[in-house]
Order: sequence, then structure tokens, then C-alpha cells
Amino acid sequence: MKEYELFIGPQHPGVTGNMMYHLWVDGDIVTKAECNVGYLHRGFEKLMESRGWMQNVPLVCRICVPEPDVNEMAYAMAVEQLMDWEVPDRASYIRVIVLELARIAAYLMSIGSYAGSLGIYTLPQWTLGDRDYILDIFEQLTGARVYHIYIWPGGVRWDMPEGLPDLIEKTLSYIEKRLKLYDDVFFRNRVFFDRAAGIGKIPKNRAIEWGVTGPNLRACGYGYDVRKLEPYAAYGDMDFEVVKYPELGDFEVISDGCDAYTRIVVRRLEIDQSISMVRQALKKMPEGEHILKHPNWLKWKAPAGYAFSRVESSKGEYGYFVVSDGSSKPVRIHVRGPSYTHGINVAETILKGANIADVSQILFSLDVCPPDIER
Amino acid sequence: MKALELIGKGEEMHGRAYIKSDKEEASSIIKKLKENGFDHFVMLSCVDWIDNNEFELVYHLWSYEHKEHVMVSIILPRDNPSMSSMHELFPQIETYEREIHEMYGVDFEGNNRLTPFMLEGWHDMPPMRKDFDSKKFAEDVFDSIPEIKEEEDEGI
Repeated sequence: MKEYELFIGPQHPGVTGNMMYHLWVDGDIVTKAECNVGYLHRGFEKLMESRGWMQNVPLVCRICVPEPDVNEMAYAMAVEQLMDWEVPDRASYIRVIVLELARIAAYLMSIGSYAGSLGIYTLPQWTLGDRDYILDIFEQLTGARVYHIYIWPGGVRWDMPEGLPDLIEKTLSYIEKRLKLYDDVFFRNRVFFDRAAGIGKIPKNRAIEWGVTGPNLRACGYGYDVRKLEPYAAYGDMDFEVVKYPELGDFEVISDGCDAYTRIVVRRLEIDQSISMVRQALKKMPEGEHILKHPNWLKWKAPAGYAFSRVESSKGEYGYFVVSDGSSKPVRIHVRGPSYTHGINVAETILKGANIADVSQILFSLDVCPPDIER
Repeated sequence: MKALELIGKGEEMHGRAYIKSDKEEASSIIKKLKENGFDHFVMLSCVDWIDNNEFELVYHLWSYEHKEHVMVSIILPRDNPSMSSMHELFPQIETYEREIHEMYGVDFEGNNRLTPFMLEGWHDMPPMRKDFDSKKFAEDVFDSIPEIKEEEDEGI
């Protein structure tokens, strides 16, 4: 038998969630890959059409499990565009703090799972444990660990409680110390160098055309980041350089970029960047209101029009397309998740020619998140 | 705005360029935008305007060069809607077309992969259409605990 079929997922530790890849394999080499989704379709977009503008806030965060806050942010921005609202400054800074903490948590999860796909199981145990300290901050700030329902159209739900900045600082310095340990165990580990370099390459000249975004695009050498291109919240005031190949800081450049190695190192460097941004936001945060006065929730109508908002998540670009006909419910909300391109067309193309043993590390290096494909 | 200058029509809406086009003209507009720096295809959306008996397809493009977002909108009739596929311009359009075909029933000529995407064994109306009653569907499918008649109750 020359060619045979393999089904990876939906219950398989080698795929990045409840999705399935159908592989055709010749010996150890993948000749064709097909992505199969449908295990997570919850119909949020349909449900949102029958609920009021405010009632949708608790739904949107559920679109991405590891990093829910970007959805709240993008939805809030789209509604604010329709309503023509200016968000108070303090709220913008609190939003940056929340989004960056969520980004660190999501990166810890993705780096840990990636290391697991190479068989280095120490790292997922550590990163998921350390991620919980960030969830502790969220619990104090919002009352919830995973789905925060905190960034509302017009601002943030509550002001920052007293003493929280100290807890954030304590957690950040703890994570900084732990990152040094991660570097020794994983990022300077020969297994990582030998297995990841040159694997899962996205052709650089096709990356933009294929819809690759976020850290995966930056690993191809394009310094594009929505936080710089279209600064939202208080990102315009933040001082940061976009991480991109080949400027990998203290980490060695051992490949031509666009591969699994570079994608993971870019994520590692962006954790440092996010830590610095949280500190800057805490320092620069002004006093004042944290939310605008809302119209009556039940009678609240958004003016007719089309709004589009985009934010940078740990997985790539999130886009919200919101259509209103002037009534108290949206006509249509369409979510562009970054994994829609990474997990389907890009993965199907770059898996061709890969070794079976590398399939899961390629998927984890793309950071594919099925909930945002299906919504 | 750059996109409006390039195409010579359209309007600005909440900081985004919004261009109304028709079925025949759309692919040349998108091709022209792609050649002039709008090289990131963001997404393809479908809106069901049931009162006008129309579907609206919205092609979203972004230019890293001009830092500008443009929406190209096409109106299709709600009965037998069809559009030519543009997956040759951007490969990921294939997936968006697949989803819209499944969820709204729009046909895309030239797309050979309009196979079931998220739904399995679906024979009902495309579920994202506004006239699909999701409440009734949920009750029919999930509210099916059998009733126990009085006589069968005896002896329990």
C-alpha cells in the first residue's frame, strides 16, 4: 500500500483544539491535507442578530477561548464607531493593560502547547501554571478568570480596584524570572533548534496574499502590527518596536525565517514587549471616568451604517464587521478570525510535503484556534 | 481616500472606503485594488436584507501601504443568487465562498470546493438566512423528550 489516509482530531493532542485534519500520507510524507471543521460551531453570529447591542457583549468573548478580550475590544470599537463615541482616556489605558495581560496569557499557552508537540512536556506544565497567575489578576479586576465581559462599548465595566497595580507588578516580575528558565529549558534547547528550523515554511512572497497576519506574518519579515498600523485604545502612546524576523534579540537566527522556529521565537519576544507595555500603561494611566454614560440598554438604537474594526491578537488580525439598520439589534455581525486563513488554506498548503511527525508542531506554530474559525 | 480616487466612486463610512459595485464590475475593481497596494484580503461577508429581497456581498481589502480599509459591496437577488468566484485572486476567498454557500445559499461559479463546511447532513434552508427560524429548529431537534402516557406509568 503506497498511500494511506490518516485522521488527526478532533480528539487528538496533536491538533490545536476541536478540529480535524484529514491527511493523505505516502510513507512518512504528507501528500495532501484537508481541514475539517464543524465540531465547535455555536452559531454566535446568528444568535447576535436577535439580541440587543449590549446583550451581545457576553457572547463575543466566547469566540476565542485562550484570548477572549480581543473580541470584546473589537466589538466595542465597532459599536463605538457606529455610535460615534469617544472613550474616556482612563478606559483606553485600562483596555491596554487587559489586552496585553491577555496576550501574555495566550502566548504562554501557545508556547507551552508548541513545546508539548515536540515532546518537551515540562514547558506546558510550567506555562499553564504561570498563566493562572495572570488569570488571578483578571479575577480581581473583572470577577472572572476566562471570559471577562469587561470591555464594554463606551469604556470598561469597572474601575481598577485599589492595590491591583501592585499585584500586576508582582506577577510581571515573577513571569520575567520564569521566562529566563523557559529560555534555558526550551529556547536554547537543541531539540527545538534541530526540529523547528526550516519546518512549515510559508513562502515569503505569498504570505500577504494568503492572508497570513500577526506573529506568523512578522516571522516572515514583515513588520506589520495593527497596534502600530491603526493604533486603537492607548496604543498610540505606547513605546514599542514591532518584533520581526531577522531582529530576534538575544535569540539566534538559525533559519531564513517564515518557519516554525521563527514563529515561536517572535511570540517569545512579544511577551517581553507586552510586559513592558503593561508597565507603561500603568505608569501613564490618567485619573477620570472609566465608562461613558450609556443609553437605556433595552431601547438603545445604533444609527444605520457599516462599521469595521480590527485589533491585533496573539494569533493575528481580528476583524469585526458590524451592520446596523438603525434598530436596537444588529443586522449582521461577521467576525474575521485569524485562524480562518492560518488553519484552513495556509495549513492545507504548507502541510504538503511535511513529515507526519512535524504536522502537529506546524499547526501549533501557526497557533490555529478553531473557535474563531467557526464562531 | 486612495481607494475612492482609484475607483472613482464610493463614499467614506466611519473611516473606511465603501464602494458600491455590480456583479460584472466587481472582479475588475478588486483586481485593480490588488494591483495598487490593497494586497491583504481581509474577509468576504454576506448580509441578508430580507425586506428588500436582496443579499449583499461585501469584499473587505486592506492596504499595508496606504493604511486603508476598503469595502466593495455587491447586491444579489435573494432568489437563485450567484456570483463568479474570485479565489484565483486570493486563495482564501475559496473558504469564505464555501461558508457563504452553505450558510446563505449563494452559488459561486468557478469554485470547485463548495462542499459542506461546518454543517453535516444539512437538508434544511441555509441557516444564516433571516427567514430561517432557529428557535423552531432548536425546539424540533432538541425538545424531543418523549411523553409518557398515563397507562404506561402504572407500576413504576
